[in-house]
Amino acid sequence: MLLFLRWYAAKRPGMLDAAPWAGRVEEVELYDLHGLDLARYRAVLVSTHHDQRYLQARGAQIEAYLAGGGTLVFNGHLVRPFLPGLSPFVPSRGAGVEALRVRRLAEHPVFAGVTAEDLTFRRGVAGFYGRGCNPPPPGARLLNGVGPEALPLDWELAWPGGGRLLMHAGNDLWMYEEDSSSAARLAPQLFDWLTAEGG
Amino acid sequence: MPELIALDSGAFYQHRGLHEPPFADYFDRIVYLPALAAADLDPARTGAVLVPCRTPPELLRPYRAAFEDYLQAGGTLVAMGETGAEQWLPGIRWTDTEVNFWWWLDRDPDNGVRQGDPGHGLWRHLSPRDAVWHYHGFFTPPEGACSVVDLEGCGSLLYDDRVSTPGRLIVTSLDPFYHHGSHFMPATTRFLTGFLPWLRQEVTGPRS
Repeated sequence: MLLFLRWYAAKRPGMLDAAPWAGRVEEVELYDLHGLDLARYRAVLVSTHHDQRYLQARGAQIEAYLAGGGTLVFNGHLVRPFLPGLSPFVPSRGAGVEALRVRRLAEHPVFAGVTAEDLTFRRGVAGFYGRGCNPPPPGARLLNGVGPEALPLDWELAWPGGGRLLMHAGNDLWMYEEDSSSAARLAPQLFDWLTAEGG
Repeated sequence: MPELIALDSGAFYQHRGLHEPPFADYFDRIVYLPALAAADLDPARTGAVLVPCRTPPELLRPYRAAFEDYLQAGGTLVAMGETGAEQWLPGIRWTDTEVNFWWWLDRDPDNGVRQGDPGHGLWRHLSPRDAVWHYHGFFTPPEGACSVVDLEGCGSLLYDDRVSTPGRLIVTSLDPFYHHGSHFMPATTRFLTGFLPWLRQEVTGPRS
């Protein structure tokens, strides 16, 4: 079972309503996190709009979950780090499209077949996907970079014991699920990845 | 001196606008919304309460009576876009519309956003173009309220209501904190650069 932490009207992945995902993802309001036994879930997903003050207050619970082998998917600009080693969002410097251009840094199942061009531009406009990075701790695997410095906009960090943190410093990865570009692959590939192999 | 407070629901985009330069200094206090207390809504202490855009209405509805009491006691309340103001404030008439984020790519871009009453004090701090970006819907202000930003042929995107209650209700469908806080859309940063000094002056009088 996966856990999707809801944040009121924030857009949830529509694919959760249909096969094969219906019934395999539990949806709970973020503010109910403190009452949950996270060990029941293979992965936890949190949307970009959530209350970071609350998540920060739940840091010990999340750290224990990752140490126990769980996977967390975080979306958004981190302003209140909730784990040791995390630090606040850094915007991409520079101007215009080049500051917002996304580059693939390493292959990863979530991004397979998703072109950097389709992450850079949405209906011809740059910047929806991400505009900077939540700086990665040492040892993170850098997946996509943004801007001239290739700030690591997406990265994955492995915990001893099998835990994983997938960090995306931008709009929700599932925002593109109804787009006609290759970015529509993000949401299904994310859920496939979360339920594949061991995790 | 009465305080200008802002409610913070913990989203990153509110954090940037409320807690970081250049706007943090305009606020006397930031109140974490789940911790909002009756003492925060005492007009003798709190001159104005700003509810930044995208605060979930579900978190504001429990305070509906408290906000109404605050306005009845003479307080000033600013409700920004995407907070569902009609769900937690009295007398709000709201019409939802489709959002066109891409209007500015048209050959002759004009999305119908217009300066309302040019005599309103906000315009001494703001250029009309600083209020122009996409909109999520419009209000029909109560009779006697001043529409500061209009949506041509539809209604108001920002109005200042000093007639419906003994207090003052400033309502807008614009969402500048969200976009400024997301490092997206410079017009929204310009809007806050004018709006917050104006609001500050309205609450505490001119800074000496």
